[in-house]
Amino acid sequence: MVAMSEFPTSFTLEYPYTRTLGPVIGPFLTALRDGRILGIRCGSRVLCPPLEFDPETGETLSPDFVEVGPMGCVEFWTWIAEPSRKHPFREPFAFAQVKLDGADTAMTHAVKASGPEAMSNGMRVKAQFREERTGAISDVYFVPEADALDMAIEPGEGEVEISTHLISLTFDENLYPSRARYAQGLLDGKFIGQRSPVSGSVSIPGKGYDPMARVLMTEADDVELAPTGTATSFTVITPIQYKGQTETEPYVSASIFLDGSDQPLTMQNIYNIPVDEFREGMRLRAIFKPVAERNVDNVDNSWMIFTTGNVIERWEPTGEPDVPREEFPEQI
Amino acid sequence: MAERCGVVGLGQTKYDRCLPLSLDGLVREAALRALEDAELTFADIDAVVIGKAPDALEGVMMPELSLADALNAVGKPIHRVHTAGSVGASTAISAATLVESGMYETVLTLAYEKQSEGDFMWALSGGRSGGAGAGGSFAPWIREYIKRSGAPPHIGWKVAVKDRLNALKNPYAHLQMEGITIEKVKESPMLWDPLHFFEACPSSDGAAAMVITTVAGAKRTPRPPAWVLAHAKRTEFTVFPGRDPVKPAAGVECAKALYKKAGITDPRRQIDCAELYVPFSWFEPMWLEGHLIADEGDGWKMTDSGATELGGDFPVNMSGGVLSSNAIGASGMVRCLEAANQVRGTAGDYQVDGARVALGHAYGGASNYFAMWIVSSDPNPSFS
Repeated sequence: MVAMSEFPTSFTLEYPYTRTLGPVIGPFLTALRDGRILGIRCGSRVLCPPLEFDPETGETLSPDFVEVGPMGCVEFWTWIAEPSRKHPFREPFAFAQVKLDGADTAMTHAVKASGPEAMSNGMRVKAQFREERTGAISDVYFVPEADALDMAIEPGEGEVEISTHLISLTFDENLYPSRARYAQGLLDGKFIGQRSPVSGSVSIPGKGYDPMARVLMTEADDVELAPTGTATSFTVITPIQYKGQTETEPYVSASIFLDGSDQPLTMQNIYNIPVDEFREGMRLRAIFKPVAERNVDNVDNSWMIFTTGNVIERWEPTGEPDVPREEFPEQI
Repeated sequence: MAERCGVVGLGQTKYDRCLPLSLDGLVREAALRALEDAELTFADIDAVVIGKAPDALEGVMMPELSLADALNAVGKPIHRVHTAGSVGASTAISAATLVESGMYETVLTLAYEKQSEGDFMWALSGGRSGGAGAGGSFAPWIREYIKRSGAPPHIGWKVAVKDRLNALKNPYAHLQMEGITIEKVKESPMLWDPLHFFEACPSSDGAAAMVITTVAGAKRTPRPPAWVLAHAKRTEFTVFPGRDPVKPAAGVECAKALYKKAGITDPRRQIDCAELYVPFSWFEPMWLEGHLIADEGDGWKMTDSGATELGGDFPVNMSGGVLSSNAIGASGMVRCLEAANQVRGTAGDYQVDGARVALGHAYGGASNYFAMWIVSSDPNPSFS
């Protein structure tokens, strides 16, 4: 028996999204890379950061840029005593509304100061540029006027038109009790489903309730299913290469009805049977991995796509005759 | 009794692999075109209803808030709808409902996707390896449809060719595949048996928008409205014992409710044309049956006979459909919009002669969300 402390599982969802910057943010970030800060004219005002559309009338703003700063004024601020890894500095700093000289609106940005006592409303700050600039809002930060250094900035080449943002979220997901018992079963080399006390139909994994009769199900309704079943439907997947994809060769993805179940295990990947030998109606037996190699790290609460974890070594043909189509479950 | 509402403005961007517009610029372009078509301005809009597929596709959380400036929606009610791939049609229906309820007179509704800024396959797989993608998930059900119906393999290829030929008549369509043939479809790489590469939709950037208003509001716009006769949405669980994913009960019930509301008793005869959500070729015959336009086992025969071609007796996806442009969140709205386009008589080179009643349809998730509407050039047509 593997300990229940395997749950919850932690997962990091991470992707480098891109942003098409458009006619206003593109030039703004290009200028930041080159050590300059641009505002945009909007009627009688200068907006910084610049916007594509007039926030009051909704009109498209023409790209009439004005250089602002590098000096500015803190309108108000807050102190970040314990920065997270996503903050612009590892040491404590301030987030402030900074109105740059020449601009009529303020932007939220970071001020690197020695401590909260060095911050005040109305204080003068100056833009500083990082040595490595990529055309991102983080190319710049602010410091109290007295701390400012003069720096020589070499302009970069070309226009910044697309930016990349690595968005990352790490989360723990507690499994529903019924899903946890299903996951625990997988670790133990068993298929645990649930039998509806109303209809008698067996689903795997169980939902913890009968979704059709809308009746709660408990551990008392759990049933262990045999590791044998029938493939009722399948496709051959040619893997598309996306970030995080490790599959490279075509493989079978099958729906398998375990004996005694009324709901298929979908998307069971089959690597050991050549794709041209796989058939609907094939009788299969799950061969579990050795206990030490099993994990259920990819079992979550999803209903769109649910997995059987990483516990099945392979689905092996039992050698029994294929089940004829007319004996398939009513639905595939 | 709900207020009758009509679609008085249609707007779309070009659909393409990668549009050089910011997200704000993208949605605004579609919105401005819809307003221009209605000869209205943002000032005439009382509420905005926006839809898109999961936020994970572009990684912009709660975009309805950040897009408010671009849609001039600051200070107005803005609503967000989310029902997976069917969202564009659900969004249009939500907008129609707001007008029908009497709550607002004129509503701008808009749906979009900028697929080039993220990765659909990554998002669908939840960031994990081994994601089969939408095609891989649907393929086993398509195989089952083929087995049940006895359809020959060329049906899927035929749909793929027909929709791409239609797309050549639609300047907004993403894929412009001059010289597409059955042979080329058949010889394209097999992605998810039985689906070849050319039987799958593209990944597109794009946005679609509509202006929907009351009878009184429609009198203030110059072009003929598409009257919304009926709409329906239905949902079912993704998995449960006894579920039929080939002909989901929710899709059947949705169609029944829709036809009943519209007064339609014989959809094949009483509806002039349809824009169905067909992201993979075989879903044309599957939805013809799944939404009671064809009898069970006869959907593929309609396709095979040429009935669903432009010029057939029940044209499907005159605009080129999802197979030719798929800015996911927008795709369902485009189906509703193109249905309206037909009954307004403004569909240009892909106009169905005399189209009076049209169906716009979308599905989503694991074929478990459905949203449909029926529009007509006549606010109170009689069916016989």
